[in-house]
Amino acid sequence: MSEQENKTTEAKDENKPNFLKKAVNSVKGKISGSKKDTSHFLTGKEARRIAKESFQQSRYYEKKKKRKNVSPDEYITEMKDDKNIVEFDNLHTYFFTDTGVVKAVNGVTFSIPQGSTVGVVGESGCGKSVTSLSLMQLVQAPQGQVIDGSSIRFKSTDYVLDEHKERIPIYEYEMNEDGSYKLDENGEKICVMEPKLDKKGRVVKDSEGNPEMQPKQLRDQNGIPQFETEEKVYDVAKMPTEHMRKIRGREITMIFQEPMTSLNPIFTIGYQLDEVVLLHVPGATKETAKNRTYEMLKLVGIIPENVYKRYPHELSGGMRQRVMIAMALACRPKLIIADEPTTALDVTIQAQILELLRDIKNKINGSIMLITHDLGVIAEMADFVVVMYAGRIIETGTVDEIFNNPMHPYTVGLQKSKPVVNRPVDRLYSIPGNVPNPINMPNYCYFKDRCNRCIEKCKGPYPDMIQVSPTHKVACHLYSDMAKEENK
Amino acid sequence: MKVKNPVQYFKDKKAASDAYKQQVAEDERVRKEWEEKNARWATEENEENKILIVKHLKKYFPVAKNFFGKPTRFLRAVDDVSLAIERGHTMGIVGESGCGKTTMGRTILRLHSVTGGEVKFDGKDVGSLSHKELRAIRPEMQIIFQDPYSSLSPRMPVGEIIGEAVRAHGLVSKKDYRDYVIGVMKECGLQPHYFDRYPHEFSGGQRQRICIARALALQPKFVVCDEPVSALDVSIQAQIINLLEDLQRERNLTYMFISHDLSVVEHISDELGVMYLGSMVESGDRKKIFSNPMHPYTQALFSAVPVPDPNVKMNRIILKGDIPSPANPPRGCKFHTRCSKCMDICKEFPPVYREYEPGHRVACHLYPQD
Repeated sequence: MSEQENKTTEAKDENKPNFLKKAVNSVKGKISGSKKDTSHFLTGKEARRIAKESFQQSRYYEKKKKRKNVSPDEYITEMKDDKNIVEFDNLHTYFFTDTGVVKAVNGVTFSIPQGSTVGVVGESGCGKSVTSLSLMQLVQAPQGQVIDGSSIRFKSTDYVLDEHKERIPIYEYEMNEDGSYKLDENGEKICVMEPKLDKKGRVVKDSEGNPEMQPKQLRDQNGIPQFETEEKVYDVAKMPTEHMRKIRGREITMIFQEPMTSLNPIFTIGYQLDEVVLLHVPGATKETAKNRTYEMLKLVGIIPENVYKRYPHELSGGMRQRVMIAMALACRPKLIIADEPTTALDVTIQAQILELLRDIKNKINGSIMLITHDLGVIAEMADFVVVMYAGRIIETGTVDEIFNNPMHPYTVGLQKSKPVVNRPVDRLYSIPGNVPNPINMPNYCYFKDRCNRCIEKCKGPYPDMIQVSPTHKVACHLYSDMAKEENK
Repeated sequence: MKVKNPVQYFKDKKAASDAYKQQVAEDERVRKEWEEKNARWATEENEENKILIVKHLKKYFPVAKNFFGKPTRFLRAVDDVSLAIERGHTMGIVGESGCGKTTMGRTILRLHSVTGGEVKFDGKDVGSLSHKELRAIRPEMQIIFQDPYSSLSPRMPVGEIIGEAVRAHGLVSKKDYRDYVIGVMKECGLQPHYFDRYPHEFSGGQRQRICIARALALQPKFVVCDEPVSALDVSIQAQIINLLEDLQRERNLTYMFISHDLSVVEHISDELGVMYLGSMVESGDRKKIFSNPMHPYTQALFSAVPVPDPNVKMNRIILKGDIPSPANPPRGCKFHTRCSKCMDICKEFPPVYREYEPGHRVACHLYPQD
């Protein structure tokens, strides 16, 4: 074809409608024998291969989780630091989808010290929720799986079992007036005795007509009997689901984002709260469970009589969130995961709920893992902050370090892009672009394409975590010189 | 149910209904008195510079009807709101969810019919326009909706979404149509090759840009932004806010920016209105309100905003309880159930919405009423 002809055909093409142009081009391509450009879509063959691989992977992990009669030695470990309650160590959670593997959490390492609040911040889709769900073993299965090699160590309290695999009750002992135990002639403590009752509450009598006596078990103020407990460290990533059920809801609990959707609309508030206690607390009866429910509702600032027999739709958003918190507290957990607890609420109600959470943390002496995208909430609540981006941690440190000396360009940008009341700026700083596509992440720093402080080094591999101070870590090439100097 | 004494039963019933009627009549009287007082305090606005003047706007939704279909009880979604926006300015409206911000925005555009009061847009009374006249001014006032995920039709390509109204109003000739739409898209930061794509292919931020382009394609003078950034991530929020500000500067737009996020409203707006249960409780210049919030609700709202600075320790005013249902609002001042400075009169008589400083209006009994 000569140049002139080319021009005329192009001119003709321009007059044609769009779909005709496409058809003509595709025919042209076939005639000239050029290969199809497959860079922007998956061929059928490729898609089938990926789907098959994903299916195999997810089936392998599902089988592993559903094993039965696994000996606890397999997943009992020890904490690296005894002060921590949770240690995430190199956590990888992948989603095996039909279009490829989504690395939702990709090598996350941090720990939650006992009695502290750890805030996890990041944009939506950065893996903060998946991190917490991995700890609960609640990741959307069978696609979402925690990958081998990652470990989540959790310090749990478990009941001590005797040789018959039964819990050992704690008995009440007779006391002297000065507070010491009364001892018998062998030097052992004397149990308080009480008459034995049958199921209907009648006193059981022996053949001579005297009431049968049994040692009195220690009960808490709600009348729930106490058993002996011990501390054990479990690796949640290796735990089968069977065992996880005993920990989930008792030792670790979660407050979800939407109080509207996480309460069951067809049961009363009281029923749903009692259920938690009845399921997880051994020895609890309907009566004692109700006592515990009343106690918890009082703790979150609700008058129990008003809501016990109501249905969730009769309550406002703030009240529902309080009920959710009461439910989370019902078994006196060691760790509460609050996944965006105030996002769906108004500012004034948010202030109430945050105040309540802070109050409760002190009362039950537990830890909180607070997941949010609101930096203001983090600044108020958290002791330690973890900043996540695209499935990885980019900066961790105490609140002071993160807010007064942010180092990663993303953390800096995030803080500058949010307007603050009474601190006017002419123009907001905005981070350009979007979060990268979770399938096929680049092998350089994920933030490189949006970063305004890129250097030559950024084209290299993903930066390691660099220790800036004993508590402050950052994953950025800008600070790699600092680490080297320290090593020297 | 068994009635022991029918005569007594009906007597009781009659007494109860009489008491209720009396209560309603009393409420009506108080209301009328209040409305009269309010009208006395309505200052005459300098109409030259104002693009929008709203006077005593009311929007009631019927919740109960009697046997003949006449509504007997109303939900007062917007109850006697007055405001005025200057040309090229931004008015921010804040308040909790359910306080009637969105209903007010929609009523001003007459997406809801007006129950009472007056909306003057560019000298025309929007409330009383006929269908034809309304259609003629619709391109001049547009709205950006809250949720970019549900406000775009999944079956339309982006070009069609943005250009549909342009074609319907005949703004440009058929020949220039495509170029015009692409021009608008470029202005809003969308690339021209998105023209034939569908909304599901875009992220939240891009979708919100499409929504903005759709509103701006008609060359409006006045845009109601109904929570345009609350569904977006922080870093995307800043992009959209900057875009809105740039467009305002280029086209001399007037915004009504509805949001529950105080920090965003403070950043973008020149004037501020605080709403509570359908009424405006405080309005005025942004700087004045932020430096000197007069209404207890405004004070509580400002103190509840978390500050991203661990060194700042706020002394919070924490409001007790929840916002009451607008279908059954408390008598007297609507805020008295949660107010820390509540007095006896607050429970009886609603306060007058009057000016205390030039341009600063408050409705509260703490300040002189006459």
